[in-house]
Amino acid sequence: MTNTAQTIDLSLYAAVTEAVQAEARKVLEAGIVAAVVGWQAGRRKGTALPAIVTDPAKAKELIFSPACVNNLALYLTKAKKEIRAKGKIAIVAKGCDLKALVGLMGENQLKREDIHIIGVVCPGVQGANADRAQPLSETTIAGKCRECTVHTPEGADVTVGTLPQLPHFTPAESEELARLEAMTPAERWGFWKEHFSRCIRCYACRQVCPFCYCEQCLCDRNRPQAVESTPRPAGNMAWHIVRAMHLAGRCAGCAECERACPMDIPLNLLNRKMAKELKELYGFEAGFEVKEKGPLAQYREDDDQSFIK
Amino acid sequence: MQKTITEPNLRLLIDTLVSEGKRVIGPKAAGTMTLYEPLSQGEELNLGELPRRSAKEAFFPLCETILTYERDKEGVRVTDVDPQAIPETVLVAARPCDVAAAPVLDSVFSWDFKDEFFLERRRKTTIIGLACARADDACFCTAVGLSPGDTKGSDLFLAPLTDGGYRCDAITEKGEALLAAHADLFSDAATAEPLPLAEPTLGKLDLEKIRQWLDTHFEDPLWEEIAARCAGCGACAFLCPACHCFDIVDEGGEEKGARRKSWDACGFGKFTNHASGHNPRDVQPSRYRNRIMHKFKYYVDKFDQRLCTGCGRCVRACPVGIDIATVLEEINSK
Ligand code: SF4
Ligand code: SF4
Ligand code: SF4
Ligand code: SF4
Ligand code: SF4
Repeated sequence: MTNTAQTIDLSLYAAVTEAVQAEARKVLEAGIVAAVVGWQAGRRKGTALPAIVTDPAKAKELIFSPACVNNLALYLTKAKKEIRAKGKIAIVAKGCDLKALVGLMGENQLKREDIHIIGVVCPGVQGANADRAQPLSETTIAGKCRECTVHTPEGADVTVGTLPQLPHFTPAESEELARLEAMTPAERWGFWKEHFSRCIRCYACRQVCPFCYCEQCLCDRNRPQAVESTPRPAGNMAWHIVRAMHLAGRCAGCAECERACPMDIPLNLLNRKMAKELKELYGFEAGFEVKEKGPLAQYREDDDQSFIK
Repeated sequence: MQKTITEPNLRLLIDTLVSEGKRVIGPKAAGTMTLYEPLSQGEELNLGELPRRSAKEAFFPLCETILTYERDKEGVRVTDVDPQAIPETVLVAARPCDVAAAPVLDSVFSWDFKDEFFLERRRKTTIIGLACARADDACFCTAVGLSPGDTKGSDLFLAPLTDGGYRCDAITEKGEALLAAHADLFSDAATAEPLPLAEPTLGKLDLEKIRQWLDTHFEDPLWEEIAARCAGCGACAFLCPACHCFDIVDEGGEEKGARRKSWDACGFGKFTNHASGHNPRDVQPSRYRNRIMHKFKYYVDKFDQRLCTGCGRCVRACPVGIDIATVLEEINSK
């Protein structure tokens, strides 16, 4: 039997759904929070979308399923001021999403006491182009979930669900990264050049990223223009380099940028590569503890300086 | 005029058009997806999948240069790009929901200002539409008054037949001309039955009722409810066959550069940012409201047409699951 036949048992999602609804109702009724950010079912079968619930009676609309792909931390950033203005917010978070919340706290974008985190145990969510009619398996699960290390989130106010036995999936992203690392620089450049040539500059990757909360993005500047804004090779390459550098040491690895990309550009490979470099050079990993400053935002005498020639 | 064409002959038609020096655009496999792209031979035509981006690119490319400038000893030279240089084009096997958007766009591009680039491409393009035998759960052309067999905007229209060939109807003079010029590739009217059309599942919407509601609900809690989740990316607008906002920028240096026109989107936070710094649409709900108002009210008021053909691309692509059909259903039910 091959791995593709291994599927994930869906009963956990139903149990988590119930627990999320109960917790949401409780904190809304008790007035502990002004709103709960979670997921609700979409019109099409097997789809879900972010939900911002303020009425306890509507807590029953919240769900947790393999379609709950969004990293909801986005809704607690400056980019979504109107939501934060409501007051203290409860947020439903998978382990991978929790890393973004931790990062945002480190960057003084969030105060722990201003949010109520409902952590959900998560066996995995569906990949961007997955066939929703198929069960969650090696062929339909998101790449990041195949090698997830945070199925059970830690540090939430409550955590719901118990992790079932999970199938072993081949770590496709690591394998792809290893393949890239084995290339010559010219081959690698070619690889990215080809991918970036498809970029249409819709900025979905930026807009779904919890760390892209700058009120003035360098790439939107036009007086003077810092990065060419038209979807052509020069501007595309510059945009992606700016993005990778700006997120290095900050990216929580939620892979939302890659999922959102309508042109299927494997952005998370770049994120993972940057994260790996930072781990090797600075012993730093984003999203595990609240840290005032990431490695690229400070100078230390023992920093690696071998790149200065 | 009605004829039939076999699939091998359809591919041969593409080869012939290419050899005549025409630009032929059609669905083509491109990595993990299918896109409408220039075909170099009929073999490349990929009929199985819905192209990720719409066919509007045949007239309204993602990015185009409209003038170039250069400075040398003599001074500054500004050169217009000549729209006449745009090649004769055949857009083949385009979905009805893509094709129906073309005549809708004609209205805005030939209104107070005539966009010569768009209009020249439209003039020089012959469109071969293709009926859909399959729809997915995002398709809702039938809900907005079109159908998987709608010929609106097509010059020639293909309907797949049970024997693998296509019934071919000439809809316009351009279509007749193309048929006549390649008569050897077509045969007489079909004997085989057409395949049943796809059946999108969404019920019919009362578009006039929706417009009337929009007329009186510029302010409504609905906008916040739906659009607070909108991430403000351009995915929906960029993939849409009917969205047509663009930006014009000068790129380059002191010595040389170009003026370029490229897609823009009303969802972008800076879309209506004034030079003063004031932004009248400062939060996402007011931007999303504009998206719906523009498609189902403003454009209807002005041009008596709608900026949505129900192709479902925005529904499939929205990273936060915003489903325009759900929004319309909700307004329709009020
Ligand atoms: S860069 Fe991508 S993976 Fe990293 S936090 Fe942003 S959206 Fe998530
Ligand atoms: S989401 Fe994809 S296509 Fe859009 S700007 Fe980002 S990389 Fe480019
Ligand atoms: S608004 Fe959405 S469904 Fe309507 S034509 Fe545009 S992309 Fe298609
Ligand atoms: S909405 Fe779907 S079924 Fe209707 S014309 Fe477009 S692709 Fe075909
Ligand atoms: S694709 Fe979705 S998130 Fe992006 S602007 Fe459109 S509705 Fe908003």
